[in-house]
This record gives sequence, structure tokens and C-alpha cells, in this order.
Amino acid sequence: MRYPKLEHFQEPNVITTTADFIFSWARSHSVFPFTYGLACCAIEMLSSGFARFDVARYGMEVFRPTPRQCDLMIVAGTVNEKMAPVLKRLYDQMSEPKWVISMGACATSGGPFYDGYNVVNGVDKIVPVDVYIPGCPPRPEALFQGLLELQVKIQQHKFVAETPKPAALTPAPAAGEEA
Amino acid sequence: MGLEIGTNPMDMDAIAARLAADFAAALTDVRVQEPDTVVARCDRAALKDVARRLKAHAEIGYETLNFVAGVDKVRHLESVYHVYSWKTNTYLELHVEVPTAAAEVDTVCDVWPAADWHERESWDMVGIKYLGHPDLRRILLKDDFVGHPLRKDYVDSVENHPHA
Amino acid sequence: MPDQFATPEPDEAVKLALRRIEESTARGEGSDVEGLAFNEVVVNMGPQHPSTHGVLRLVVTLDGELVKDVIPVIGYLHRCKEKLAEKRTYYQYIPIVDRTEYVAGMNCEWGYVMTVEKLAGIRPTRRAEFIRVIMAELNRIASHQVAVGTFTADLAPLGTAMVFYMFRDRENILDLLEEVSGARMMFNYFRFGGLRYDLPDGWVEKCRDLMKRLPKLIDEYESLVQDNAIFLQRCVGKGVITQQDVVDYGITGPCARASGVAHDLRRTRPYSVYPELDFEVCTESHGDVFDRYQVRMDEMRESVKIVEQALDMLPKGPVQLGALRAPYVITPPPGACYTGQENPRGEYGTYIVSDGSRYPYRLKFRDPCFCNLQLFPKLLSGNKIADAVAISGSIDLVLGGIDR
Repeated sequence: MRYPKLEHFQEPNVITTTADFIFSWARSHSVFPFTYGLACCAIEMLSSGFARFDVARYGMEVFRPTPRQCDLMIVAGTVNEKMAPVLKRLYDQMSEPKWVISMGACATSGGPFYDGYNVVNGVDKIVPVDVYIPGCPPRPEALFQGLLELQVKIQQHKFVAETPKPAALTPAPAAGEEA
Repeated sequence: MGLEIGTNPMDMDAIAARLAADFAAALTDVRVQEPDTVVARCDRAALKDVARRLKAHAEIGYETLNFVAGVDKVRHLESVYHVYSWKTNTYLELHVEVPTAAAEVDTVCDVWPAADWHERESWDMVGIKYLGHPDLRRILLKDDFVGHPLRKDYVDSVENHPHA
Repeated sequence: MPDQFATPEPDEAVKLALRRIEESTARGEGSDVEGLAFNEVVVNMGPQHPSTHGVLRLVVTLDGELVKDVIPVIGYLHRCKEKLAEKRTYYQYIPIVDRTEYVAGMNCEWGYVMTVEKLAGIRPTRRAEFIRVIMAELNRIASHQVAVGTFTADLAPLGTAMVFYMFRDRENILDLLEEVSGARMMFNYFRFGGLRYDLPDGWVEKCRDLMKRLPKLIDEYESLVQDNAIFLQRCVGKGVITQQDVVDYGITGPCARASGVAHDLRRTRPYSVYPELDFEVCTESHGDVFDRYQVRMDEMRESVKIVEQALDMLPKGPVQLGALRAPYVITPPPGACYTGQENPRGEYGTYIVSDGSRYPYRLKFRDPCFCNLQLFPKLLSGNKIADAVAISGSIDLVLGGIDR
């Protein structure tokens, strides 16, 4: 990953890089997390948002309660069969691009309740997960490491490459020719 | 200023004796479990009547219900009522045997309003039906869950648990 | 349009709410507006909602802003704890109990450990008893900080300074608890007959320092809101729990004490070394939202007093029974036992039925929030929706305990 160096910003400068890089770099440093705290991990997520472990350092302090305004869903806590359809619904309500962090042992694989009759063993059975954070509950520092891993992942996101090209730019194959 | 606790302190054995005397036929096997609980067995048919009289008892009014638990004892089910008396500051644990095949017992919601959700949970988990309950439906599990998980013979199924 | 964006089928709770509207319309209480059969709207609050403190779903029947009826739907965090108890040994189950009322883990562990000790006839060591009191009271302060902090955060979405101040100081308490047990929240610290570790060197001094600073901090918290006219208007007189409600529904904890009922298990059914400690049972008389807030602030001060006394009276000695570690496998004799413990939220009881084997036969938790939540339909009806949010915040619910 080629970051612009700090020296480049000390004078009026022209930096050449890809559009993908700029968009992803900006996106990764202002992620809006979704407050999807289900259980005990939610309290650690709250603690990480407050004074001592300040998540605002990473630009992620804008926790929105509605999925429609969020990029990142931090599933913090155990998901059970009653909650699973709700989780899917909320994930679907988020707009692209969206990422999911599975925080804690319960969201990763069921945790201490893995053999319950009602417990979903891992949130990745319902939504695709980008970063797994183990721990029960993970310390706020562990959550931050997960968020930093996610930042790296977001910076690799190819925005321009995935935009569908309008049909007019792709020449149609001539009649009788193979495409 | 209002609700007092322990206005009529009684010795545990005295309470047990008093209950055995007042509820002779309905409450059997009344014994004391130190330090503050009297344990008794109640006849299933007499439960409602016993509950009303326990609550209205002049000296040891058991006015508050702590919880109702369903227990699966394999040969039969049991509905356990744990009630508290403000006057004597003691507890009473009532065990009501319920046959597994026809698992029904009268509700005590009209006597102790707190029983509402506790009985729903007992129905949900163990499958004891409370006759006369205003709204007996599942409380903790999803509405279309099949079976009663805290029964000893409950087996995990794919319908209930598709994301195992 | 893809299926997942369609409105889901009404489930039992919503059907019940709609049925009740139909019944009240049939009774003639329908709308007096031309062209409308009824005024009410059924709205879903939750299970994901910033103000419901966890995955609680409230199916609210609203007439404009007035709440006509509330049907709480729980079970979105049901983690099969009572069934898991039958598959784990008594010792293996201790960390799972922590996760019941996860904000007050030490208190929950104590409730469970106390019941098993009573069943098995184990008496903890005296030093362990005092340290248990210290841990429980520290956790009580931390729990009240979360409770009052999130309550004020509900009133103005994260707009009050109070929640930030409280969480800042809660970190100091969690530091102390982490030094002792190794974890910030899920401690796994209590054992049958004592505790896992003794206090590390220098811990007592650090704890004393914090206890000296805390009363001034609690005064600071109060000063942030107590003269605020809006806070008082939103809290005084709202959501009154009467003494009859306390008796009928088994309300315990600060919710009961705010209504004037001096029911505190540390005094009425004392356990451990509480009879030797000097503290007040904090009560208020009106039973409204403001009184519940006030009781929690007073209890924090009383907890500071208890911790200071316990630190002064701390005896020397072992914290575990026996020369080595506490027993891994215990097999209590067959029987059943219930003990109640004063959790920050009320009477946290554990009822264990043992059949003489290494695994509990049946474990039932009597959770204070489960009993307090039953009062919601009665308590929230007739209030505006904003008041409903304030009232539900003041009851202090932790869904881990309600759903188990």
C-alpha cells in the first residue's frame, strides 16, 4: 500500500495515485459503525467509545443506531435463532459498501454457549464477516486491533473496478461473430 | 411508613407447624430447610385454594411470589412455587407434582400477579400448561419452536436450530 | 423487490397488539375522527434500538405520542443457560454465571457460589468473605455507573456529560478488579469455599485511594444534573411504582427501595459478613424515576463506606479451603436449595436441584430484571413515548439476566 508521505503535505504538492486509493483511504478513516451490541461485548464496545479508550481517534465515533446510515456492523454478542432473521434484515438494510466485524467468541463461533439448542454458532452462518475478534469479551484494545485490520481491508477495496460499466462503452459483438 | 418487613417474626418450626395444622389435607411433607425456608408438597387439585389461603393468611401472609420453576423429574414434572412472607420474613417452597402425560395445573395468576411471566416461562421450557392463564404463549423461544427444551428427553432438531 | 425488504408477517406479539386494538374498537373506544376506525398505531421498538439497553423488543401501541399499551417481547438473547447447567459441572459453570447480568459479574457469581456452598455444606474462609464483600460492592458501584450513565444517555442521546464521566471512573474500578481477577468484565473469580486468587501486593492501598476519591466524584455526577430543570421535569413524578406493585410483582432492588420499601437482602436476609458492617438501606418515598436515580446515587456512597470498612476489617488467612486449590469436582448431596443475593438490580436468586452427581440437575435463576420487566405494560401506559424511554431506562434492565 503506497501511502503519501508526510513530507508531501508540507508544501503545495501534486500527489498522483489511483482513485481507488483515495476513496478507500478516505472511507477507511471515517467508518460509521452500527450499534449492534447484543450482549456483554456491547459493554466493552461502549467502553471503547468513551474516555479512556477513545474510538474517535480512528474516526469511528459516529455510532449510528440505524443501519441505513452505517458502513460497519459490529456484531457484539451472541446471536440466537430468534435474533438471526433480525440480524439478516438489518444487514440487508445497510447500503454498499458494508463490512461486518464479528466481535467476541459468541459471534465468531458460538462462544461458551456453543452447545445451546438456540445459539447460532457464529454469525458468519448468516452474514459474511470481514474481521473476527476473539475474546470473551475482547478488551477495547483488541477491538481496536480488529478495527485497524478492517481499515487495511477497506484500503484494499477496489471501488472503481467494481462500478459496473455502462453498456454503451462496451462494443457489442457484430452479428455472426463470437463475443 | 408503608410496607414493613418482619412484623411478626416466628420460629421456623412454629411456621411449619402452623402451616401443617392449617392446611392439613392439602399440604403434605412440611419441613424446614434452614435458615429461612419451609418446604412443602401441595396437591395439584388443591393448588388454587391453597394459594388463596396462603396469601390471605392472617399471621403469615405469603403475599409475594418470587418465581415459578418447572422441573422435569423424568417420572413426573414438578411446578415449584417460591413465595415470600413479608410479615415473618421467610420463604415457602411449594412443590406440585404434575403428571408428564397430562401436564396441566391451575394458574395462580389471579392470586399472585407476578406468576404471569414465570408460568409462561415454565410452559415454554418444560411444557407445563397453566389452565386459566390469560396469555399462555412462548416467552423466551421463538413462536414456532417445537418442543420444550428443559425436558430431559429433548433432542436438538434442525427445525428448531437450523444454524447449528 | 427482493423478499428481505418486504414487511415481515406479524408475529404473535404484534397480532396480540392488533387484537387488542380490535377489541377496544368493538367496545366503542375507537376513533372520534371522521373516517378512521381507530387512532392507534402499532410500532416496534427493538430488538435493535438505542434506548432499550439490549435486545428488548417493545411492541408499542401508540395513539399519537401517547403510549396505550406495551407488549415486551424477550428471548432475543436466550442463550440456553439453564440447559447448559445440566451439561457442565458445578465448577465449569462459574464463568457462565458471570454472563447472566454481565454488568455485575461478581454479584452473579456470588449468588451461584453461595447456593452451591449451601447445598454442599461448604463454609468459605473468613478472609474470602471480606474480599467477596469488597468485590461485590466495587462491582455494585461500577454497575450503577453504567445504569445511571446509560439512563442519562437516553434522555439526551449521548448528550449528557454524565455518561462520559461515569464511564471514565468506572475504568478505575475495572482496573482494580482486573488486577485481582485478570479480567475486566467476566471475572471467573469466585470459587466454592473462597476465591481463586488472593489480593495482590499494593491492591489495598490503591483501593483505599479510589475510595477516598469516589465520594467527591459522585457529588460531581449529581451536580451535573440535579439542578437541571429539564432533567427534573422529565423525571419527577413519572413512572411511579406503588408499594402494592412491589408486593404484587415481586419488585426488588432500587426500584422497590425508591417506593419506600426497605427491602435490601443485605439487611433483611443477611448473608456473608454483612451483619458486621455498618451501612444504611437507601430508600426514597415517591417511587418515580427521579427517586430511582437518587437511590442508585446514594447506594454508590454506601458501597464506598462498606468497602472502606471491609478493608479495615480484612483478616489475614487463606482465601481458599484446603492446602491447595479449591475443589474442582464437587458432588452436593441430593436436594434443592435457593439463595437470594442483593444484586445491584434486585434479588438475584439461584435455585439448584441436585441429584448427587457432578452436574446440576436443574438450575433456575430468579432474575430481578425479569420480574421488574413484568411491570412495563402497567408502568408505561398512559405516558408519552419520550417518558416511556426515560422510565424504561430507570428500571435498569440487563437482557442477559432476563433472557438467560
